[in-house]
Amino acid sequence: MPRPGFVLDVDRATPPVLFHHGENFKLEKLPPGRSRIIYPGEPLEPLDDIEGAIHHALVNPHGDSEPLPALLRPGMRLTIAFDDISLPLPPMKRPDIRQRVIEQVLDLAAAAGVDDVELIAALALHRRMTEDELRHAVGDRVYDAFAPHGLLYNHDAEDPDNLTLIGTTDQGEEVEINKRAAESDLLVYVNINIVSMDGGWKSTATGLSSYRSLRHHHNVKTMQHSKSFMDRHASELHSSNWRMGKVLRDSGVKVFQIETTINNNVFGTEGPMSVLQKREWEWTTRDRVAFMGMKAGLDRMPARTRRSIFQSWRAPHQMTSVQAGEVEAVHEVTTANVYKQHLVPVEGQTDILTMGLPYICPYNVNSIMNPILVMCLGLGYFFNLYRGKPPVREGGVLIMSHPTPWEFHPVHHPSYIDFFEQVLAETTDPIEIEAKYEKSFAEDEWYRHLYRTSYAYHGVHPFYMWYWGAHAMQHLGQVIIVGGDVRAVRRLGFKPASTLQDALEMASDTVGRDATITHLHNPPILMADVT
Amino acid sequence: MSASGPSRKANGDRIAELARRIPVNRSTVTTAGRLTAAAALRRVPFPLRPPTVPGGVDVPVAKSTLGANYDTDWARRYPARMARVLMLEGLVSPAMQLLAAPRLRGLDRLTDLEGPAIFAANHHSHVDTPLVLSSIPEPWRHHMFIAAAADYFFGNKLTAPLSALVIGAIPIERTKVGRKSADDAAALLDEGWSMLIFPEGGRSPDGWGQEFRGGAAYLSLRCGVPVVPIHVEGTGRILRKGRSIPRRSPTTITFGRPLRPTDEEDSRRFATRIEAGVAALADEDATDWWQATKRAHAGDSPSLQGPELGAWRRTWTLGDRGPKRRRATATRWPDLD
Amino acid sequence: MKALQFERNVPRYAAAVLAGRAMPGAGARVGPLRLRDLDAPRLPGPDWVELRPRLSGICGSDLATIDGTSSRYFEPIVSFPFVPGHEIVADRKGTDGSDRVVVEPVLGCVTRNINPVCAACARGDLGNCERIAFGDLEPGLQTGFCCDTGGGWSTRMVAHPSQIHPVPADMSDEAAVIVEPTACAIHGALAAGIRDGDTVVVIGSGTLGLLTIAALRAYTPASIIMATAKYPAQRELAQELGATQVIAPSELKRAVRRTTGTLALGDGDIDRLAGGADVVVDCVGSEASVTEALAVVRPKGRVAMVGMPGHVHVDLTGLWQREITLFGAYAYGTETLDDGSRRRTFDLAFDLVRGADLGRLVTATYPLSRFTDAVAHAAAAGPRGAVKIAFDLRNERERTRA
Repeated sequence: MPRPGFVLDVDRATPPVLFHHGENFKLEKLPPGRSRIIYPGEPLEPLDDIEGAIHHALVNPHGDSEPLPALLRPGMRLTIAFDDISLPLPPMKRPDIRQRVIEQVLDLAAAAGVDDVELIAALALHRRMTEDELRHAVGDRVYDAFAPHGLLYNHDAEDPDNLTLIGTTDQGEEVEINKRAAESDLLVYVNINIVSMDGGWKSTATGLSSYRSLRHHHNVKTMQHSKSFMDRHASELHSSNWRMGKVLRDSGVKVFQIETTINNNVFGTEGPMSVLQKREWEWTTRDRVAFMGMKAGLDRMPARTRRSIFQSWRAPHQMTSVQAGEVEAVHEVTTANVYKQHLVPVEGQTDILTMGLPYICPYNVNSIMNPILVMCLGLGYFFNLYRGKPPVREGGVLIMSHPTPWEFHPVHHPSYIDFFEQVLAETTDPIEIEAKYEKSFAEDEWYRHLYRTSYAYHGVHPFYMWYWGAHAMQHLGQVIIVGGDVRAVRRLGFKPASTLQDALEMASDTVGRDATITHLHNPPILMADVT
Repeated sequence: MSASGPSRKANGDRIAELARRIPVNRSTVTTAGRLTAAAALRRVPFPLRPPTVPGGVDVPVAKSTLGANYDTDWARRYPARMARVLMLEGLVSPAMQLLAAPRLRGLDRLTDLEGPAIFAANHHSHVDTPLVLSSIPEPWRHHMFIAAAADYFFGNKLTAPLSALVIGAIPIERTKVGRKSADDAAALLDEGWSMLIFPEGGRSPDGWGQEFRGGAAYLSLRCGVPVVPIHVEGTGRILRKGRSIPRRSPTTITFGRPLRPTDEEDSRRFATRIEAGVAALADEDATDWWQATKRAHAGDSPSLQGPELGAWRRTWTLGDRGPKRRRATATRWPDLD
Repeated sequence: MKALQFERNVPRYAAAVLAGRAMPGAGARVGPLRLRDLDAPRLPGPDWVELRPRLSGICGSDLATIDGTSSRYFEPIVSFPFVPGHEIVADRKGTDGSDRVVVEPVLGCVTRNINPVCAACARGDLGNCERIAFGDLEPGLQTGFCCDTGGGWSTRMVAHPSQIHPVPADMSDEAAVIVEPTACAIHGALAAGIRDGDTVVVIGSGTLGLLTIAALRAYTPASIIMATAKYPAQRELAQELGATQVIAPSELKRAVRRTTGTLALGDGDIDRLAGGADVVVDCVGSEASVTEALAVVRPKGRVAMVGMPGHVHVDLTGLWQREITLFGAYAYGTETLDDGSRRRTFDLAFDLVRGADLGRLVTATYPLSRFTDAVAHAAAAGPRGAVKIAFDLRNERERTRA
């Protein structure tokens, strides 16, 4: 029976806590008496009969929708869109959930005699997926059946011939999505919800759209009013997407949404890596030996080897729920299921929030985590994993642990390099950055060329990474990075510290000597429900 | 057995006498008086040799312990199993990699399968058995038994124990449905062993398949064990029926989704469904999964048994699946200038 | 008089080459440059004047001579033994600080008593004089490379009246000694032919690079000036003197790509730019800098070699395919400004030195006796946070003798 998450008050008997530190781990002691650690719940049991559950979901839809077989008829145009490489994190063991769902959908389509089918990776302005990555996501059978004919491909948000302007919301937000998806008789979206930000109308309205649409909600103002963007009901980001969804629905785009949730079993509950998910006082001798061996090995390895080892990890997380049908009805059920795994009730806020940042975020799968992504992961994703209020008070301090190397992947993140060298050297204020530089990066021809033909994130993407942390930047008084490259941390506008103790000492300038501390224990992810 | 000293001398005298009286060649003379092997054997006393039967009595016919009656239980005890595992991993698997370079597809369809299964494959060559055995993944891999033809594999005292040991075979009658084989197989399935069976009954005579018999379907119904259809492609090129020297050729093994009989199906209908499953896998291997699935749903999968045509046209339509032509050796023409 | 003299001594020269390769500036210790007691140079002509140097700078070309890395090109236009030093602020003989002058070192027709003067000298383009190995003086392109004139690294030298520029009383010695290099920089900047709105790249932020940035800002209509600088002190000065962007040398291609917005070949790791900057001024003169300059300039762009190169191995295919103009800018003479007026480069240099307070670029001075330290410092100026190193001759006891 998996135990739920809980909040531990640190006392003298608390062992040192595991911090993720990029591609390594650290054990840090938190000051007793004034610290608390939020532990995530143990992984929920996955579904017994996954194939059966998927089939059940497809023929028993939620909301105002017919079962999928009834929606399929010969001669129709069917488009299947699926989440891109940014989900799930870390990548799943084969077979991927998307493969299972898509094969069942195609099986029903084959039975109904549908011939005109296209599959699109809904990646918006993310980078294109490589053949290997597509094969991993949809499986070899589907890939070999569709890709050679050009019927399985990556969404191209900069192809004017393949975009349709659907309409505008009542707040003037333009809704422009992939042309094939808009003009199909049925758009089936296969989605993985790893956090409560994913899914719902965001799947189609963001995943299949273009810069013209995205700029209406991927901007500083929207992000500052999303407190947080993990809670749909308090998120301006989601309100905007829901408005766009309404436009889509009213214009006749028929979407059959299939959403899935997975448990948070990142490193396995058995095996040598399971020690990383266990509560420290429950580590057996074997676990401790395994951890010490792992750490000794990792410390001696060069960074490249460490990175390739971690990036090749395929997590055993499995499906905990699947629901299909009408977008909004499905998403309510999904969100409840996500909360079941992630939510941990927390009382009150503290002065300091600490966290160890892992080696992977949605934008560096099979790649390098550059300093901008470190900032996005910490101030964007992890900071916003709350409902209600952040676990740290306004004006408090955020301490993150990550090596923050001044390293960029030249193929995946070319515009990030320029953003870091030029834009951040001038200013770190998101509002100023948006006003002065976003347009030139978004319209730069070379970035556009690399996005369309190579495997690069769009020129404007680093800006979105920066805006993701806008709410946190507004809320916090100071940000300190422990163990990071000093120059890189300074360029980000944060303070570098070499140890956690030094960081806590530096934080006392902002929050005083006896500051209270919350530590988010990860792996795996959790969401704090703060009251 | 040699004669004693003095009789030897006596023999020698007799031969000399013979040679003097009758002019014959030397070798005949030396072998003339010697005892033949048969004669020597006849001289051995009874306990050392089998008894002769007196006239007027009936000898009861001993029950044959070969063929379908061969008891293979010993082959599933620990030492024999260990030996089989070692042979599979150390000998058979690498040999198959070298000979057949198999490409495995569809293994992900087995991820949710728990417990024993019946693996049903098409049959073109003797190479099928070791190839499929070395391709089936854990946890079924080292818990397999094979239903093998009683008359062919268990026919004599040498091949019977070898078949039982090396491939873990149990005898199954081909000509009539035997009670014993079915019971043996069912008992093993209930114990958790997985079975590999070729429902066609024998190897393909001409490159096309034969109709699937009902054995796999019957056992699945009886023991509640799912059937995993497997399509093996390319073994006909390696060692066809009638040949004895294998040739290297690449092969593909495609695993299908495990099939369970529905409530209304009997073994005949289920056997047809299993055959359709393997046919769909053949189609998937030849074209792609989407087209194969569409055709399977429409009932249009190309049949494994091939067209109903005469012999040469059947071979003709085999096309690439048939035996490869030998490259023509370059003929040198004499200089005609 | 006390002087540093560079003589023709082959074994010492070889030793200098080896030492210079091991560590820049080490050629001073083992090479043909030696501190000696010499007779003051005789006046080559009646109107020549005797000068007593106050400060004399160490230039990159001097370092190249000392380390033996300068090209054999110079052999016919240099006469041994000579006293180096061509960046000079000096007293007229008999005065001490009240009548200071800056020397324009080029030895043209006028100084060599050649009549009629060559076409270049007639135009005022002294640097292009065709008679630098002829006339009354020994061969020598400048004071500081000629055995007849002496040079700045000594307590006595001689100069022709045409070489003399008076120093205003309110200008410091440091400011005065930097006038000559400033004139080189101005000449290079104006020779580059920069048009309104151009993007200019300056490679190298040593003395010459920094002065070029100042010259570009002051005298050309360049819009964006991008400078490469390796060291923090150089970076700060480059920004103060007018560079729009200061970039690490390894990031130049990427910075030019993003500033000019051109396309690039190569997937993220930029191999080659499709377009580029309008003008590139190379103030370093090494193989790497020339290659880089050719790589970041646009088709039909111009690359000015202001820093002295030597024997460099460069792939000129890009030059041909993109119709790039590669030209040299040496020394100074008379400049034509935008409004059509003609002024001597040294006059412009005086204005610029005063206007941009360029005297602060003189970081350290040394007495002649510590010349090995001085040369080592000058050779490692960048990493040591220095810009211009000069010899301070004001306190040489020697110079006040007679």
